[in-house]
Amino acid sequence: MKIPSLHSIALILSLVVAVNGCGQRESAPSAAGTGDNKPVRKLKLAFVSNTSASFWTIARAGTAQAASELGNVEVDFRMPSTGGVAEQRQILDDLIAKGEDGIAISPNDPANQTEFLNKIAAQTLLICHDSDAPASKRVCYIGTDNKAAGMQAGQLIKQALPNGGKIMVFVGSMDAQNAKERFAGIKKEIEGSNVQILDVRTDETDPVRAQKNAEDTLVKYPDVACLVGLWAYNGPAILNAVRSGGLQGKVKIVCFDENAETLAGVAEGTIYATVVQQPFEFGRQAILGMSRYLTGHQEALAGGRQIIPTLSIQKGNVAEFSARLKKILGQQP
Amino acid sequence: MRKELGIFLLLIALCVVTAAINPRFVSHANLTNMSNVVGLFGLFSLGLGLVIITGGIDLSVGAMFALTGVLLAMMLREWHWRWPVAVAAAVALPMLLGWGHAWLITRIKLQPFIVTLCGLLIYRGVARFLAQDATKGFGDAEGFAGLRDFATGKFLGLPMPFAILILVSILMWFVLHRSVFGRYLLAIGRNEEAVRFSGINTRRVIMGAYVLAGALTGIAGVLLAFYTNSVSPSTHGNFYELYGIAAAVLGGCSLRGGEGSVIGILIGAALLQVLQNLVNLLGIPSSLNFAVMGAVVLFGVIADQIFQRRAALDQGRH
Repeated sequence: MKIPSLHSIALILSLVVAVNGCGQRESAPSAAGTGDNKPVRKLKLAFVSNTSASFWTIARAGTAQAASELGNVEVDFRMPSTGGVAEQRQILDDLIAKGEDGIAISPNDPANQTEFLNKIAAQTLLICHDSDAPASKRVCYIGTDNKAAGMQAGQLIKQALPNGGKIMVFVGSMDAQNAKERFAGIKKEIEGSNVQILDVRTDETDPVRAQKNAEDTLVKYPDVACLVGLWAYNGPAILNAVRSGGLQGKVKIVCFDENAETLAGVAEGTIYATVVQQPFEFGRQAILGMSRYLTGHQEALAGGRQIIPTLSIQKGNVAEFSARLKKILGQQP
Repeated sequence: MRKELGIFLLLIALCVVTAAINPRFVSHANLTNMSNVVGLFGLFSLGLGLVIITGGIDLSVGAMFALTGVLLAMMLREWHWRWPVAVAAAVALPMLLGWGHAWLITRIKLQPFIVTLCGLLIYRGVARFLAQDATKGFGDAEGFAGLRDFATGKFLGLPMPFAILILVSILMWFVLHRSVFGRYLLAIGRNEEAVRFSGINTRRVIMGAYVLAGALTGIAGVLLAFYTNSVSPSTHGNFYELYGIAAAVLGGCSLRGGEGSVIGILIGAALLQVLQNLVNLLGIPSSLNFAVMGAVVLFGVIADQIFQRRAALDQGRH
């Protein structure tokens, strides 16, 4: 082995010094300027969705808004690629290792993730958004009351079908809590009316299959009156199926969330209504709430449940809603 | 022909049974819908079949759909490229990626499984990154309405993807079964070393297979993007390579390479789509969708094996 020359020793030493120096420069701002008695550390807050969908890009804008309002918060926004529990577990473990002060999560499988969530809650501030895990030790739930949202959808279905009729429900999977609650809400609302649910067709979060399910439904039940989509991509999938079958106006559509195609369908009138959840507020309120809680205002997350109301968007108010949404996302109007 | 006959009979049997239970199976609307998806899935299954015949595999097909779909939407709506350029780019990209895979497989001697597995991970990640996890849609197709109407329209009464599939299948039949290139492909799948020692440039042939498969994936990708009119980068085409592989294997392609036929792959692709349609039309719970597919496919493959063995015994061979 060659004895390292003076040259290379000097090179290595200077590299070490440089790296250290860089490290110090990076931490300097968060460690506050020299002369301050109290170092102002940025709060590290994380927001974890249940899956990757454009719905969450709106929530992301909300977290960014909250971060800019607060100024001393660093938001780590995570979107798991699949709706899997394992991936969420990995993400949360990584966030704990990273030293997050607070985590807001939409658990994929609340019933079976309780123990895991409790472990996380023991190590950091944990709140739930979008999908609640009431059995766990999360401090608060910020999000939609999915049963109420389902009932709202049920009301819209009854309005769309004043004389009743048969409806088919489409969703990615019925083991998700929000799917179960929305469906329960719809069922409760249409009880006693002339609206009859034919079945629920699932598509495992595959938009092509969702579209095919809708197409096949139109074939199997030529007298179906309304198609109902529970998840964000179901609306556009049903819309495509109704369009390709030439059944606009004959078959009504009620769906959830605000995909661009969904809003276009509402504006056109092909979609009777969509129930939107205000994901911007999920993001914003979650970060604001956690930040206030961690800076001594524990009442910010009091009450256990902070429900963000859903809105029903129909032809009458879709233009204004779309404009507002585009502004939130920083898009051209 | 025996292999295809078995799977063809299974397809016919399923169609007859479904039509008997629910006559709407053979309604104009249902046949149109089904031929549409058979066209979409059949196109990339053909490409995947070619790759499998060389003894390789391509696990990145679904991720390529996501990437090309996202790029196509961005090219047409955000960058305002002219549609012929955008479509050409959308088809050229999987061809380029296929070339890259083949280069890694033939020059660096990596396993196709690992190369395309990395592709699966990389391309989907890039698609999500480029789209920033937002769904990219085609909206009202301003500036390319003609293209959208073409991709979702009809040709001689047949849905465009199906018409394109028929055209491409005829071409592929000539390529695989009546051309020198096709002969080389099948031979390389059987015994690459022997073919190389015969003086044939196996590297070029294998590259040709992957690039051709890329072209078919690109065309299917464009049609698939217009079918849904929007591309969600995290879910678009998720695991679709499994449909392609299943279709190819059902249709007689051996995963070891060296065997396969265009007709077989088409029947395999059709079978898988008929099964999904059947689950919906017969009111079988959606949760059993893949279970039904797996069970029927397994049954078909086992039955096929038994018939093959019987035939071999009849001919006095083991």
